[in-house]
Amino acid sequence: MAPSQATHTPSLEKLVKSLKGQSLEASIEALIFLLKRRQVKGDECAQATAHILRQVVAKARWQDVDQLLSQIQSAGSRLARAAPHEPVIGNIVRRVLGLIRDERQATIPIRPSPAVLTSTAGLQVSKSMFNLLSVAEPDGSPMTGGSTPLSQATQPTSVHTLRSEVMDGIEEIMDEIGQADDQIASFADIQIHPGDFVLAYQPSKTVERFLIKAASRRRFTLFIAGLEPFTNGTSDAPYATLRKKLSAAGVNTISLSSNGLMAYIPRVNKVILGAKAVYQNGGLLVDSGCCIAAQVAHEYLKPVIALSPVYKFCPEDPSYDVSRGWLGNPSTYVSYGNGPEVDAIVVENTVTDYIPPELVDVYLTNLGPQTRHHIASILADHYKTEDLAFSMQLD
Amino acid sequence: MATESNGAPLGAPALQDGTKSAPAPSNTPAVATSQEKLTPAQLKAKAKAEKAARRAQVKEARAAAASALPTAQAGGTGADAKGNKGKGKQDGQPGPGKGGQVQAHQSSVSGRRPSMPAVEKDARSGIPECFSHVPMAKRIQTSQAHKDVHPAVLAVGQQMATFGLKDSISRLQATMLAFRKVIESYETPKGNSLSRHFVPHVLNPQIEYLTECRPMCFAMGNAIRLLKAKVNKFDINTPEDEAKEELLEWIDYLLHERIALAEFVIARNAAQSINEGDTILTYGWHRLVEKTLIRAKKSGKTFGVTIIDDPYERGGQELAKRLRQVGIEVLYSPNLGGLRPKVAAASNVFLGGEAIFANGSLNAPSGTADVAMAAMNAGTKVIVLCETINFDRERVSVDALTYNEIDPERNTADNFRLLFDNTHDKYITGVITEFESGGGNSPAQAILALLRKQEDPLIA
Repeated sequence: MAPSQATHTPSLEKLVKSLKGQSLEASIEALIFLLKRRQVKGDECAQATAHILRQVVAKARWQDVDQLLSQIQSAGSRLARAAPHEPVIGNIVRRVLGLIRDERQATIPIRPSPAVLTSTAGLQVSKSMFNLLSVAEPDGSPMTGGSTPLSQATQPTSVHTLRSEVMDGIEEIMDEIGQADDQIASFADIQIHPGDFVLAYQPSKTVERFLIKAASRRRFTLFIAGLEPFTNGTSDAPYATLRKKLSAAGVNTISLSSNGLMAYIPRVNKVILGAKAVYQNGGLLVDSGCCIAAQVAHEYLKPVIALSPVYKFCPEDPSYDVSRGWLGNPSTYVSYGNGPEVDAIVVENTVTDYIPPELVDVYLTNLGPQTRHHIASILADHYKTEDLAFSMQLD
Repeated sequence: MATESNGAPLGAPALQDGTKSAPAPSNTPAVATSQEKLTPAQLKAKAKAEKAARRAQVKEARAAAASALPTAQAGGTGADAKGNKGKGKQDGQPGPGKGGQVQAHQSSVSGRRPSMPAVEKDARSGIPECFSHVPMAKRIQTSQAHKDVHPAVLAVGQQMATFGLKDSISRLQATMLAFRKVIESYETPKGNSLSRHFVPHVLNPQIEYLTECRPMCFAMGNAIRLLKAKVNKFDINTPEDEAKEELLEWIDYLLHERIALAEFVIARNAAQSINEGDTILTYGWHRLVEKTLIRAKKSGKTFGVTIIDDPYERGGQELAKRLRQVGIEVLYSPNLGGLRPKVAAASNVFLGGEAIFANGSLNAPSGTADVAMAAMNAGTKVIVLCETINFDRERVSVDALTYNEIDPERNTADNFRLLFDNTHDKYITGVITEFESGGGNSPAQAILALLRKQEDPLIA
């Protein structure tokens, strides 16, 4: 299974390479395919979405800002619908939408008719203080824009500048996504102290980067929990590269092949989790089993540190599906060889967990450590109120 | 014999005296130079030291000869132990022929048999330092067991080491049945009485062997304590046949009262606590939980069962199939993922355990504490089913690292697992035991108090 996957399954890199040659529609479909089969998941989703949206801006036919917005929205909601368990996609779409709205205000002053003016003004009032400040910026532009009223003649140039501006903006988002892990890792030695026993549950790439960075400055002991019992035989030991890097830095790692964590938590000083998403109430979407780590740590008053780049902060509340946990393929645990009994037994293999906000002590983002009381202002800084309803459009 | 066992400790200070006057490490020149200053007592000590050294040399030679034929060694020392009956510890004494590591190993197993130290070292060498105090079951070749170990006990020990006998009650049952065989084949040597001879010379080697195969469970500890008390109570003049007969009857009684009957009563009481339409959540597989659920179903109740399994044990899968066969609706979850919503949806959590300590905490398969904690936090009742033979009134455990075992299959830093965890009594609503008084659903502390009061009037 493993080798064939490596050769045949299209990965994110292949998709990105193929973007140039492909039509826009083919690229979108290719990513939808990958998302549905969960061949692109987790952190890759954000990067992939940004790539595709960039293609939309570059290749789609659009004449004005509203058309561009609706193009992005439709492409974005198709992607988001393909992977409802990856809220990061929606976040990136919202970020790009917000970016376009900012650019509209910066480049094309809107003053053709009083009716339009009042309608947009009405929207602006509903925005946060942050946006009021950013609106103040384009004050200079009415001088140029004011002399030439919105006309057919100026449209192509403004479309051109808007396109390049937006594409630059998306590049910036992609840079942010790329650098986020390193920025989070730079806080590692503040959080991890010499002699600590750190528990990491199924360390994601972000968590691995964080731990390796911590290991370069601190001597601690790492427990890796949440290993899948059935993947052990098929490939080399899980997290082998992480363990190798850590042991090179003099950090001991102990892989706990255990379901429960209560037995080990008295030893542990802090628990590090990688979030798949952070909701506006402060709740986390995480890998299955992670919640028990957080709960156990909370019981023993050990700090729970959730690592999450800002682009994973969702301006929405967890849905019922999220709080219940997404279900995955049960056949890894109960094979069909078990006979007719398996028909009668409901097997639930939960693949995600939801951690309620009260179990999380620190949200460590690329902007530094945050508490859940600060999440609202982070969200206000990064998303426009008009785009908050994006998730509603999915249904 | 007595001189030899005293020889080493007395000899050591005498040697120091010698080195004080002359720093030469060897014995004889020091004796020669300082001879006239020595008091008679010192002389005597010196002579003893020399004697000890000579014996050590002899032993060294013997060990060298034996190491050439490792299989013969077991027989040789076995014969040795026979020669000085009851002085088996002699091999554990520091002898120059054996390395320090061997001594350390032997003292830990009270030196009864020189089993392969190199292999054992390997088995434990991978254990991370912070868990290095936790014991682990190990396989001992039957040829390396002490020769006094009864064949039935040998078989039980092997099955325990390989986890063929896993939970506390089946281990207890097998042990007691094996001891039955030991008692049957026992004959008191001339000039001894059963009450004096049986426990130290026959029973203890069996117990030691079993402990070495896998640390004893608490039920075994309790039963053995009761058995020893029973033997000690015999009058020294009790005829052997009568005493044996009484012991065999006692073992049958214990198996019947504390295991079979207890199981029946617990299953009945627990089944009564299940209401129509309930959802019962359980973790992994436990005999009592299975019996309870099947009994409740047979009594005509309709209820659902959620099984949270341990992917490393997968006992829950078998339970799911068996429950399904009697027509119970089963929701099976292979791991602790999504535990919070599942415990919140359940009306009761039934858990089985290995032991309950004097502070009311439950020793149970790893993961049980997580389920109990999650359930308690979600406001779901947590009910533990446990026979009173599993109650340990002498020990307390506040965390899982006090009394635990390492999974012999997963004992390295790459892959590590503890077999048990410790559920604090604040996560347990009640314990159902075979005691009828107390409503069958009392906190562990109440049952412990009851146990203390009763002090097993029928059994001990």
